[in-house]
Amino acid sequence: MAFVTLQNVTYKYPLTKEPALREVNLQVKEGEFVAVIGPNGAGKSTLCYALAGFVPHFFKGEISGSIEVDGKKSDESTLDEWVLNVGLAFQNPFNQISGAKYTVFEEIAFGLENIGVPREEMKARVEEAMSLTGINDLADRSPYSLSGGQQQRVALTSILVMRPKLLVLDEPTSQMDPIGTREVFGVVRKMAEEGMTVVMAEHKVEWIAEFADRVIALKEGRILMEGRPNEVLTSDLLPENGFGISRYTSVAREAKKRGLWKKDFLPVTLDEAAEGFKSR
Amino acid sequence: MHERLSFHVKRDSFLHRLNPLTKLVMILALILVTFTFPWYWTPHLLVLVAVLPLSLLGKVFREFSFAALRLILPAAGFLFLMQAFFQPVGSDVVFKFYFLDITSESLTFAFKNAMRVFAMVSAFTLFLLTTHPSELMSDLTRRGLPGQFAYVIISTLQILPQMQAKAQTIIAAQRSRGLDTESTFFKRAGSLVPLVGPLVFGSLVEVEERAIAIEARGFTSKHAKTSLHEIPDSSFDKALRWILLALIIVSIASNLWLS
Ligand SMILES: Nc1ncnc2c1ncn2[C@@H]1O[C@H](COP(=O)(O)OP(=O)(O)OP(=O)(O)O)[C@@H](O)[C@H]1O
Ligand SMILES: [Mg+2]
Repeated sequence: MAFVTLQNVTYKYPLTKEPALREVNLQVKEGEFVAVIGPNGAGKSTLCYALAGFVPHFFKGEISGSIEVDGKKSDESTLDEWVLNVGLAFQNPFNQISGAKYTVFEEIAFGLENIGVPREEMKARVEEAMSLTGINDLADRSPYSLSGGQQQRVALTSILVMRPKLLVLDEPTSQMDPIGTREVFGVVRKMAEEGMTVVMAEHKVEWIAEFADRVIALKEGRILMEGRPNEVLTSDLLPENGFGISRYTSVAREAKKRGLWKKDFLPVTLDEAAEGFKSR
Repeated sequence: MHERLSFHVKRDSFLHRLNPLTKLVMILALILVTFTFPWYWTPHLLVLVAVLPLSLLGKVFREFSFAALRLILPAAGFLFLMQAFFQPVGSDVVFKFYFLDITSESLTFAFKNAMRVFAMVSAFTLFLLTTHPSELMSDLTRRGLPGQFAYVIISTLQILPQMQAKAQTIIAAQRSRGLDTESTFFKRAGSLVPLVGPLVFGSLVEVEERAIAIEARGFTSKHAKTSLHEIPDSSFDKALRWILLALIIVSIASNLWLS
């Protein structure tokens, strides 16, 4: 049975005419790492909020269909119970700083304080989560004094430390350099391997190709396509619908038209492209 | 720019190790006794035997004297002058300044009041220097202060400098597009109107996102909260609070009795 099930979910924010999600059907297995791609305004963030319970519990608006995680229906639960199972880190790292804490260590402990984790266990879990994301050296800094990328790592750590069963990440690497991005994808992959289910909205298709199990392409609130990363990310449908795609895919597609690419698949990453051009 | 609104000096001292509530009761006692105990030299004596030794015990003497000399003393001095000149009491004129008579009564009165204010602000400064705001709030939350209330106080303290920084950014951005922020007052005031939009609406979106962020981290969870830092509360603390409370009552009672 699927760990996450969305059935015919259609959702409209209050005071808007067009739905932000339309008839979304989605199943995610336990321990699966699913990436969500889509142009601006496609509904990626809205889907994240829906999984994390903020749509409709926080944003109100009209919703139909059902959202189920770990056997529980979102509309039969309350937000404060829901967030114990589903962790959310969203786009803007600055606004994810609680504002109640003076150091990064305290900031990461904030969620554990709220759910009543005993002090010794709390410290151990914070240490562990910080080593996982590689931010031990930031422990005593003020969260406000960090760079955007560092703040994003803190935001991710603050959620990981709560050990959610479903981890929802909305563009968690938008302010990170390639090294940071790679590390975050690595951490997320590792969590998935350990059984955490992950849904991540993300633009960086090359990393998705390398790390994700499955890709969902959203457009105007609808699922346009879903499938294995290479299948979706190299589909002709993406460029036709205004999705950002890998430059290696574009190059190989162009090369194919001129008979320079002989493989029967298109590459997403540099390695695949290099391999394909070498052995033609 | 990322300066935070806290005077706390991190140190290990007797005063730092006291429970925040004990310190709160302590400054309250100091202030109330200063204002109510019916003996002229009370504030002066308290500064000498309580405030100054406490600043040493708290290992913040240097920071404290800096604040006392630069801020509190000038303010108290100003208060002294105002009251000495404009308090129309007594007849024993010791000094004439144009049409203003300064009597010995107004001088003693002003001296006492200035000293009271000095003692009060000093005590409060000592409290701020030796108490971490989040420690104070955790302790009060544990004693039943609503978590939301504590959150609002702490986050306001933290966010004010951020808001200020952002206003600077917006001004810079708009000035670079020709906003006038340097000519006459009224022109400038008028031209600041465009600043309100981004600052306020920006803040509203931020407030919404921040609400989501803390909610996602279990802020409204019905579990009993725990706290990362252990907040000291020894039996000495408890005894001290009772003694201070008794002191407050004696002081207020003697004030009522003798007046
Ligand atoms: N709080 C809100 N109130 C009303 N409408 C909203 C709100 N948030 C998003 N929308 C609308 O819902 C639609 C989907 O937005 P969403 O933020 O989910 O897109 P996205 O795929 O995350 O885009 P981006 O790549 O820019 O992050 C958009 O048309 C947007 O204008
Ligand atoms: Mg988004």
